[in-house]
Amino acid sequence: MGVETQNVIRLFGDVWITNTVTSSWVMMTVIVIVAIIMVRRHPATLYMIIEFLTDMIADVMGEEAAITYFPFLGAMAIYVAVANSFGIVPGVIAPTRDLNTPLALAIVVFFAVHYYGIKQKGVVQYLKDTFSPIYLIILILPLEIIGQISRTFSLAMRLFGNILSGELVVAVVISLIPIIVPLPLVGLSMFTGMLQAYIFAVLATVYISTGVQETSD
Amino acid sequence: MGDMDPGTLITMTTIIISGLGIVLGTLTPAIVEARTAVKAIEGMVRQPEVASDLRTTMIIAMALLESTAIYTLLVLLILIFANPLVARFFG
Repeated sequence: MGVETQNVIRLFGDVWITNTVTSSWVMMTVIVIVAIIMVRRHPATLYMIIEFLTDMIADVMGEEAAITYFPFLGAMAIYVAVANSFGIVPGVIAPTRDLNTPLALAIVVFFAVHYYGIKQKGVVQYLKDTFSPIYLIILILPLEIIGQISRTFSLAMRLFGNILSGELVVAVVISLIPIIVPLPLVGLSMFTGMLQAYIFAVLATVYISTGVQETSD
Repeated sequence: MGDMDPGTLITMTTIIISGLGIVLGTLTPAIVEARTAVKAIEGMVRQPEVASDLRTTMIIAMALLESTAIYTLLVLLILIFANPLVARFFG
């Protein structure tokens, strides 16, 4: 809590690797190790997590699609959930506290929407569905482009803003009263982190499902 | 105000605007989200069988509404911590 973004490793010139990147590397290693241990020792717990995530996707897209898109969306949900609560470790920065991490995730979602849409329907049909009434293309095209960009941007901003504000509130209270009093706020910020991971995954699901669904005209 | 230097003026304006802005920027989403929650709960009470559908929709809608508050927060954070105008007069 209250760790600032810093440059750690210099790549070349003015390009640096920040501590959010290194902490996300550590985090990925932790996720992989925990996943391996869970497969070996606690398969029931792993099954429960997978069940929860598949249900979450199935609520929006239906059972069959949930299994198809689970690898991508489940990985997204787990990554964001762990990243949001990773700042609880003393001296470690949460990767999602830096704008670059949520922005990268949102851009991945942006490309995944089009990738899955084209994979499902083919390029021509996908474009035809996206710009649906073809005689209104002059109106639809700018609106669609603005919509795509702004929803990607707001996906990133929502995650970043929530995590940053949660950590700032905790940092301010710690600087006033360091003992016991910040604990409920730490709990609140962890709850917000979990909720934001859920929202991120659900919104990614909604975007992908609008990309792949058949229009009925 | 005429004999105040621009740096002080900008800092003062920033502080006043930040205080006002966070109040106004969070007030509206709070009210609208409360209305969303009330409507969703009414729906859940009336038809408990669609409660899980309603919950998902409610959370998505609330997340979308809340992004306006996040935008306010971002603009104010930029104003306070990375104000381009202050940098121009002091840097």
